[in-house]
Amino acid sequence: MKTAIVKTSRQSTAPGYWGGKFVLMIGISIAAILLGIGIGSVNIPPLDILRSIGHNMFNINLPEHITENRAAIVWNVRLPRVLLAFFAGAALSVSGAVMQSVLRNPLASSYTLGVSSGASLGASFVIFLGVSLPFLPMMTLPILGFSFGLGTIFIVMGIASRLDGQMENQTIILTGIVFSLFINAITSLLFAMFREGTQRMVLWQMGSFSMRGGWNTLYILVPVVVIGIIFISRYKWELDIMTFGEDQARTIGVNSTRVKWILLIGTAVLTGSTIAFVGVIGFVDLVSPHVVRKIFGSAHKVVIPMSALFGGTFMVLSDIVARTVAAPIELPVGVVTALIGAPFFAYVYFSRRK
Amino acid sequence: MLTIKNLSAGYGGVDVIHNISMQIDGNLSIVGPNGCGKTTLLKAIANILPFKGSILVEGMHYTSMKRRDISMKIAMLSQMVGIYFTYSVFDTVMMGRYLHIKNRILSTPTSEDKTAVLQALKAVDLLDEKDKEITKLSGGQLQRVFLARTLVQEPRIILLDEPTNHLDLKCQIEIIEYLKKWAEEGNRAIVGVLHDINLALSLSDHLVVMNKGEIAVDGNADKIVKSGMLNQVYEMDVAQHMRESFERWS
Repeated sequence: MKTAIVKTSRQSTAPGYWGGKFVLMIGISIAAILLGIGIGSVNIPPLDILRSIGHNMFNINLPEHITENRAAIVWNVRLPRVLLAFFAGAALSVSGAVMQSVLRNPLASSYTLGVSSGASLGASFVIFLGVSLPFLPMMTLPILGFSFGLGTIFIVMGIASRLDGQMENQTIILTGIVFSLFINAITSLLFAMFREGTQRMVLWQMGSFSMRGGWNTLYILVPVVVIGIIFISRYKWELDIMTFGEDQARTIGVNSTRVKWILLIGTAVLTGSTIAFVGVIGFVDLVSPHVVRKIFGSAHKVVIPMSALFGGTFMVLSDIVARTVAAPIELPVGVVTALIGAPFFAYVYFSRRK
Repeated sequence: MLTIKNLSAGYGGVDVIHNISMQIDGNLSIVGPNGCGKTTLLKAIANILPFKGSILVEGMHYTSMKRRDISMKIAMLSQMVGIYFTYSVFDTVMMGRYLHIKNRILSTPTSEDKTAVLQALKAVDLLDEKDKEITKLSGGQLQRVFLARTLVQEPRIILLDEPTNHLDLKCQIEIIEYLKKWAEEGNRAIVGVLHDINLALSLSDHLVVMNKGEIAVDGNADKIVKSGMLNQVYEMDVAQHMRESFERWS
């Protein structure tokens, strides 16, 4: 028997090996977060950022060269914005990884099943029609965006299960695409009928982290994202097995129809809650999982945490580009992720095929 | 070991197999022309296709068992599937331990699982390739990986759905011979759908010939071949063809 040719980057069976890369990825993520906080109209060095955070969290005295005002900028403006970008990127990236594996389609994402279309329709009701919730007027857009995004997934899955009791992947994908087109048509109709608010709607659809509610948004989003990712991680075995197809998964003992329902709704919650706050940001969910699989292999015990870290980092860096490249004008971050993501994805995907 | 009564199953509400009844107590080969329902029958037995009628495994009705209980007793080795995401050979085989791992509180592989995987890889002669990516393997090696994954499930019965298609002759014979040994040693059974009549006859003395969704004949393989029943089903002189092939190459 010939000696095995081992490509070590795929050795997910050796926890010590990818454990080192995991620590490295955490380091890169922290560095990106510090960079994101530091870069702006006034650049702030990393040590000053840490001192400002320490001052606000633990009341540690500030050195003379850091003013209260600068510490407040770090704490109240830049840190929440960067953390929002990080957790949004993590949520979208993990959703993409799960959808690609569950649907066995490298181009799948929560958007494929209409989450973004549904959320956009919800947002258009608020922006065009002025719908407002009685007790939570400020939260109307996120709540409606989330509800419509999640509702769309339920409708798509409901229709797919009626059409095909076994919930085959192609049924789900086709139902999602058709229903998304239908929802998009309604949103377009509202665009055509109500010109006022068009710009706000377009900007919402392209996504942004500016003026998104600061810490209050994070108090809601971070628990959802963290709990959602931990919950999804519990299905790492099922995700691995389901990439070989449903028949294989069932014969191994996976209740693939039930697992598919749970995971698709789980990812819809992650995606829906994220885009409800930051708008529709594309490509992160598509690109990040592919890059992670290329570097760390396909085992979901690695793919899920690494996608979270990579997606978060990618989003923070995209946000830095969005607010600095044409300053003082801020670009929609969705444009930046697409501009960077599309060629990057093409390179990663086609170099892998080669 | 496996009792099937009045089994009907199909796709989109249309039955492909009708009223199949049979008793399986050891290895069994199922043959028949394309579209006769062999794979549909296996999928129903594997509980991955809804069916009417009843199936009992070791005296227990499927209806009284959960999917996991059935998968602990019955595993399936299919034709090769498309691979979308690559895993190491070791990780792929470990997936066969899913139910064993999930039955534990922490759902993490133990040394027992790792030993089972390494033993299975040794049995299929792939121990040296355990860290290799499955996309880098040949067709024969890949099918042996899936065989190892099936073995680590520790089932009582393995269903074969033409698993040796696209493999060279040596690979085909090695897989069938290994499975026969596996079944004999552990009082287990192989139920194989195989296109190659020679391979089917080498797997088992018990032969079921299917035609148009029904059992055309069920009995001893030698008697069936000599009776000419295969000729009727395949609409050709099967025995004569086999003799001619043998004479040509001997």
